[in-house]
Amino acid sequence: MLGEIWRRIANLFRRGKFDRELSEEMRLHRELRERELGEGAGANSGVTEDEARYEAQRRFGNELKLREESRDMWGKNWIGDFFQDVRYGGRMLRKNPSFTAVAVLTLALGIGANTAIFSVVNAVLLKPLAMEDPSRIVYMQEEWQGLYPGMSVGNFTDVHQQSTSFEKLSSSNNASFNLATQDVPVRVQGEVVTAEYFPTFGVQPIAGRFFTAEEDKPGTAKVVVISERLWRTRLHADPAIVGQLLRVNSTQTVVVGVMPQSFDPLLLKSDVWVPAAFTAQQVADHDDHYLNVMGRLKPGVTMAQAQSELDVIATREQQLYPIDDKGRGFHLTQLTTTLLGDQSRVLWLMLAAVGFVLLIACANIANLQLVRARRRQKEIAVRVALGASPQRVVRQLIAESLVLGFGSGIVGVMLAFWGVSWIVADGPAGVPRLDQANVDASTLGFACGITLLCSFLFGLAPAFRSASTRLTEAFKEGIGNSSGNRDRVRSALVVAEIALALVLMAGAGLLLRSALLVSQVNPGFDASNLTVGRIGLPDASFHDPAVARQAFERILTAAAALPGVQSAAVVSRAPLAGGGGSNGLLAEGKQVDPSNFINANLRIVSSGYLSTVRIPLKAGREFTEEDKREGKMVTIINETLARTMWPGENPIGKRFACCESGPKGRMDPVWHEVVGVVGDVRAWGLDRQVQPEFYLPINQMPPSSWDWIGRTMDVVVRTPGGAIPANELRMAVASIAPGVPIYRLSTMREKISGTLEQSHFDTFLLAVFAATALLLSSIGIYGVLSYMVAQRTREIGIRVALGAMPADVMRDVLWDGARLTGGGLILGLAGAFVGTRLLSSMLYGIGSTDAITFAAVAVTLTVVALLASYLPARRATKVDPIIALRYE
Amino acid sequence: MNRDEIPPGTLHLLILRSLARNGKMHGFEIAKFIERVSSDVLRVEEGSLYPALQRMLVKGWVRAEWGATAENRRARYYHLTALGKKQLEVEVSDFERVMGAVARVIQTA
Repeated sequence: MLGEIWRRIANLFRRGKFDRELSEEMRLHRELRERELGEGAGANSGVTEDEARYEAQRRFGNELKLREESRDMWGKNWIGDFFQDVRYGGRMLRKNPSFTAVAVLTLALGIGANTAIFSVVNAVLLKPLAMEDPSRIVYMQEEWQGLYPGMSVGNFTDVHQQSTSFEKLSSSNNASFNLATQDVPVRVQGEVVTAEYFPTFGVQPIAGRFFTAEEDKPGTAKVVVISERLWRTRLHADPAIVGQLLRVNSTQTVVVGVMPQSFDPLLLKSDVWVPAAFTAQQVADHDDHYLNVMGRLKPGVTMAQAQSELDVIATREQQLYPIDDKGRGFHLTQLTTTLLGDQSRVLWLMLAAVGFVLLIACANIANLQLVRARRRQKEIAVRVALGASPQRVVRQLIAESLVLGFGSGIVGVMLAFWGVSWIVADGPAGVPRLDQANVDASTLGFACGITLLCSFLFGLAPAFRSASTRLTEAFKEGIGNSSGNRDRVRSALVVAEIALALVLMAGAGLLLRSALLVSQVNPGFDASNLTVGRIGLPDASFHDPAVARQAFERILTAAAALPGVQSAAVVSRAPLAGGGGSNGLLAEGKQVDPSNFINANLRIVSSGYLSTVRIPLKAGREFTEEDKREGKMVTIINETLARTMWPGENPIGKRFACCESGPKGRMDPVWHEVVGVVGDVRAWGLDRQVQPEFYLPINQMPPSSWDWIGRTMDVVVRTPGGAIPANELRMAVASIAPGVPIYRLSTMREKISGTLEQSHFDTFLLAVFAATALLLSSIGIYGVLSYMVAQRTREIGIRVALGAMPADVMRDVLWDGARLTGGGLILGLAGAFVGTRLLSSMLYGIGSTDAITFAAVAVTLTVVALLASYLPARRATKVDPIIALRYE
Repeated sequence: MNRDEIPPGTLHLLILRSLARNGKMHGFEIAKFIERVSSDVLRVEEGSLYPALQRMLVKGWVRAEWGATAENRRARYYHLTALGKKQLEVEVSDFERVMGAVARVIQTA
């Protein structure tokens, strides 16, 4: 056994010698036989030398075949055969450059696009989060009336104490910080985290250490952990950074550790982490719901088990804190789902769409291959006659397809490199981990896989057709009519292409129409010539609410005085600028029961806000300077809140309680009287639902609300001239609050575009895919019809000779084209009806089966298909009957 | 006959037996021996000896060397190995068993 294997391997190296020796051996045998025959009958007459030789040859058999069989005894030479097939396939492709060029281009585009999209899917969805064993990390939220707010500190602390399901449980609160560097002060993103935060994710620092539990207590020395990115870009990669002091929010803090570049567990691009150091007061607070809570499940504990334990704890909390925690539960999800779930549907849809394009490309190439196969019948027949088995023929044709496939694949991967870098550079900003998309090993593996698949897809059908060639048929002269079978396959392919293209066009059409509708939406205010910038005052120097308010009023005055500024205002969070919190409101006269609280977004505004931003006042009045804390507490509400809280009634003069407690304690309500109603503003995006909102004048802010907004407010200026006084604004702010930057400074129009960035990008991509699909399908129709016309040249010639008009001939060809198109349309519309349902969450203002869009798309496809049918039809009319009939 | 295989059994049996009788032979000699001994009944396509011989080389039943014929022509001489002798015994007994069974079936008819 072993000896046999050894002998076989040894023989691999002797191929040349083997062939020569065998040849010599066989020749000797024939010559000896020849001599014997010649001698034996030589005495008798009649057997000449030539006859002897011929007889010896005949008795010996087919030398080529025998040599091949002898060689095969030593093991099927799969690899050698394969390389031979590949070389042969390459030659055949080179001989037909027009086919090869078209096929390679089409396929390369398809493979390239698929690879590029896959690399995005891989980077965003498939790659595990950069932490230890991300499948064990869960994200905890509260659950209340269908909403999922963050955890309150009180609830978090209690869960941390009472739960046994988690190895580590930590909280994080995203915040931004002023960082004083050598040059200008900058605003960095960061998180306020408990001590167990870093151990939860199991990622080690590249320098220094995490905070200890001791440092997570209030009143201890200030420490901070920074990111590798911050260390590199703003701190000059100082090797001795650990132990250095940094001025964060005007406080000197010690850098104790540096986290690696890959560390970004909540995908917030944080640069600093500071200890949460909850005070006793915060721990007792069950009313503010804002913490991100992450936990690592203990080994062996399932998420379901942890969830049931949390349900028990939730029940306990509801009983202990009947006001704050009534009806409030806790909810666990995988962290991966929480972070990436939103992107999942869109990205897989994109991959499916670009997959359709590839399928269409393969169908076109398969069609081309079928035509070629017909022309190569003679070549195949010769090979079969020389002794090739059908299996061998199929193998060779598939090898040729593989050469075509992989050639295109290589070009496709090069295109993918370019595609991915474009996506990373110009893609939407909101997609997590998009910047990590690149053509890596798994992406290349995907490219290889689809290349193989495609090669088989467009290679198999023609290969099998060729292999079943019958010799007699092949050598018959005169082409005549093509076999009905083959035409049916080609027609079916084209119908399928058209159907796929229609589905893509329907999707793209819906998204386009949706985008158009969104762009026409009125944001509820005058968004032109409006600039917004955000300022966050550090707690250390601006802790006193009066000081903070004064600072903002001075900033407001300075901004209003700048050249080009018509009016200015401050607002806690400007619409479409991101962020914002909500409060529960209790209408006067309603029972103090959590189910009667209405959640509404709060905006704290200066008195000129409404007129600066030009939100229409529907009833009542704006805030004035007279609305001070000492007097009546007033509020302005939007129409949605008015409708929700007092449906059908005039809200002016009515009151609700919110936001703070009176001198008698928690149950002593502070009433706010409604003095005005304003129009709804689309604060979360032009395509998002309007939320109930209420406004409070800055002079009447609840003191604790400075903490809610982090002493951060937006400054809004209207500059009718169009020019943004950015530098002047910065200097104004710097003179009032030194070391405090103004950030996220951009026009309102830019902010609106920002909210639409992702949907515009998706629409653009899908439109490109749909256009490509349409182009490829029309090429498909053109190809099939041209072929049909070529096949029927004789028939057409006869008809013309018998008196058919050019119009008749053209009409027939067009009718063939129409049948194909019609079939594709029907299939495609059916598919689109079902398929576009997947898009419904991305659409605004129209349903997923919008009739106008479908009609427009169907008409476009029909027109293009007709155009593609026109050229072959015209060619049919040019058939000269004399030539056609002579063509025998 | 399937192009890819040489029917096992009879041809190998004949070749092995020829080599067992005659020590070293080249391909033509084997063919002549079979012809002569079977009185020209068995006259296979002569070239088919060579794939069969290659297979036996692979299996290690024979070994081959280049030598010279009486007229000083270069020829490849084959001889049985120990393994080949054993294989001959196996094939002979198989053949006899099968043939015996066939004979019995024919007789009972």
